[in-house]
Amino acid sequence: MGSPFDINGGACVAMVGKDCVAIACDLRLGMQALTVSNNFPKIFNYAPSTYLGLTGLATDVNTVSDLFRYKVNMYRLREERNIAPQTLANLVSSSLYEKRFGPFFISPVIAGINQTTGKPFICGFDSIGCIDLAKDFIVSGTASEQLFGTCEGLWEPDLSPEDLFETISQALLAAVDRDALSGWGAQVYIIEKDKVTQRLLKGRQD
Amino acid sequence: MRGPTIIKAEDDKTRQLNKHTLMAFSGEAGDTGELLMIRNSTLPMLTNGFPLVQFAEYVQANVSLYTMRNDTELSPAAVSSFVRGELARSLRSRSPYTVNLLLGGVDPVTQEPSLYWIDYLASLAPVPYAAHGYAQYYCLSLLDKHHNPNISLEEGMKLLERCTDELKRRLPIDYKGVLVKVITKDGVKVMDFDNDRVVRSA
Amino acid sequence: MPGFDFSNFNRNSALHARGVPLPKATSTGTTIVGCVYDNGVVIAADTRATSGPIVADKNCEKLHYIAPKIWCAGAGTAADTEFTTALISSNVELHSLSTGRDPRVITCMTMLKQHLFRYQGHIGAYLVVAGVDPTGVGLYTVHAHGSTDKLPYVTMGSGSLAAMSVFESTWQPDLDKQGAITLCAEAIKAGIFNDLGSGSNVDICVIENDKPTQLMRNYEKPNERGTKERNYRFPRGTTAWLNQKIISKEDMKKYVTIETLSGDDNLAEKMEVDS
Repeated sequence: MGSPFDINGGACVAMVGKDCVAIACDLRLGMQALTVSNNFPKIFNYAPSTYLGLTGLATDVNTVSDLFRYKVNMYRLREERNIAPQTLANLVSSSLYEKRFGPFFISPVIAGINQTTGKPFICGFDSIGCIDLAKDFIVSGTASEQLFGTCEGLWEPDLSPEDLFETISQALLAAVDRDALSGWGAQVYIIEKDKVTQRLLKGRQD
Repeated sequence: MRGPTIIKAEDDKTRQLNKHTLMAFSGEAGDTGELLMIRNSTLPMLTNGFPLVQFAEYVQANVSLYTMRNDTELSPAAVSSFVRGELARSLRSRSPYTVNLLLGGVDPVTQEPSLYWIDYLASLAPVPYAAHGYAQYYCLSLLDKHHNPNISLEEGMKLLERCTDELKRRLPIDYKGVLVKVITKDGVKVMDFDNDRVVRSA
Repeated sequence: MPGFDFSNFNRNSALHARGVPLPKATSTGTTIVGCVYDNGVVIAADTRATSGPIVADKNCEKLHYIAPKIWCAGAGTAADTEFTTALISSNVELHSLSTGRDPRVITCMTMLKQHLFRYQGHIGAYLVVAGVDPTGVGLYTVHAHGSTDKLPYVTMGSGSLAAMSVFESTWQPDLDKQGAITLCAEAIKAGIFNDLGSGSNVDICVIENDKPTQLMRNYEKPNERGTKERNYRFPRGTTAWLNQKIISKEDMKKYVTIETLSGDDNLAEKMEVDS
């Protein structure tokens, strides 16, 4: 068996624009080379403008998304407010590091807008919770190497929501088309301060 | 199956978790139980193989306990989430269950049918049709081609027949027929299915 | 102490026994250095984080706060350096609160080595600890297994050899502040350009007697990316999509209460640093 990160396949990417952020994922769930589902979204919503993308081993994507739903719901009950992306980042980081010697096989990505400052925020993690704070983009999943290439080439600063949608979509589609374990449709979220647009992309089904 | 010897030819590898939810299970590689399910307004489902009943009956008992305590029928979505959680928990224990599951049900409130695919690593995915074991390789392509979201029970049974025919034709082992169950809003019933039909090889 | 949770351990060792390799953690294949001078100490680091051969972060921060006048440079497993320094920082703060004294570098170094020794090298943190305290200037290295060193100039990480060659050839006693800063920056640059695990920029932290600590983030940027000659922006409408769902603030108000707070930039991100 290969790496647990490569069993189910999947890709996720987040990008910063001008007063907006975008996060996108593919929809494939596979077992090695066999595709089991082409409707397995990897982005989860935890507050009106806070999103978490999870790639890696599907069972851990399920477990961790459920775990954070629980943790974020408890946070909201305690604090009577929504969780900010920065706060979620620290929650994810410490929750993953708690399992330093028995990690979940996932690579999380956070994208959101801090409602207090109005500023966009993205970050990524390794499987044991080291935060990667980037100003431009974050990639994860089996197509991460391809995504590094497409994003490095296509991303530019201060993209408007409409342009950011095109850039992130093309970066993702181009990358997953060069990865056998990712693709089969894609989902994109464009997050603005008080509006979120979710789009289902038309992608190759091979 | 234990080693190369068939111990029992007819064995129900399903458990009804509540009135509207049925779970089919198959063991690890070597116990080549094939599972196949199609989701539509009603749910035909077929299984064969041998028991990995401990886990199924544990889940079954806990689902009915919950229903008795809270006087609420759990939806298939809730049941699947519970089953996945228990399988994931078992996976982290000293002696984990290695079991692949298909879980089909009709929501008692919305009357919507749903089907969940759960593998032995406790990955869960809602799907329109599913299979486990080698059946995946033989049947998913047929289901991709012939399934549509509004498929009727009759069409579903026909499609199931295509699948079993293909299994008879291509599987190198004799899997001793299938058991077909249908889940509707009225509950689960066993369907007549001609297992003795001879399929000619190409 | 971190309460590590081993709940996935059984499952992961079962997978490992079946031939599944262990996950790749982000590691700071790093160059970090430290150097004392007449009135204080300088530590410096590069800013590249790697995951195998991939550069995971081009501008990460490897200088960690422990106390206002004690800072740490970290190499090794990135998450381990991050969390180990955060943990020791908390304990150092509690310790200084309970003793009513400024924390000492040697205390911090001892806490770090005892923590790391207990984990027998499994916590992969390789650190340079530096600071000034009432006893004077301190500069130490701490290895993941718990061994420590006390030297006037130190290097660590995969670029330590390149960096040490700079110290060994150009270091001299009685350096002044600027001399120490320049020497450290040169050592880091030797790592950046000669070690594949190190790269990008130079971060420097100067801790001086009777002066506030200066963190000079990106003190030197010898690897700036040129601006693109043209842009690869796609015309709007390039990407075909099948359906969309728009969730506006008005819709959100149906489900949750939304209150707009003042757009004070510092409200959320302000971190308390020494005065």
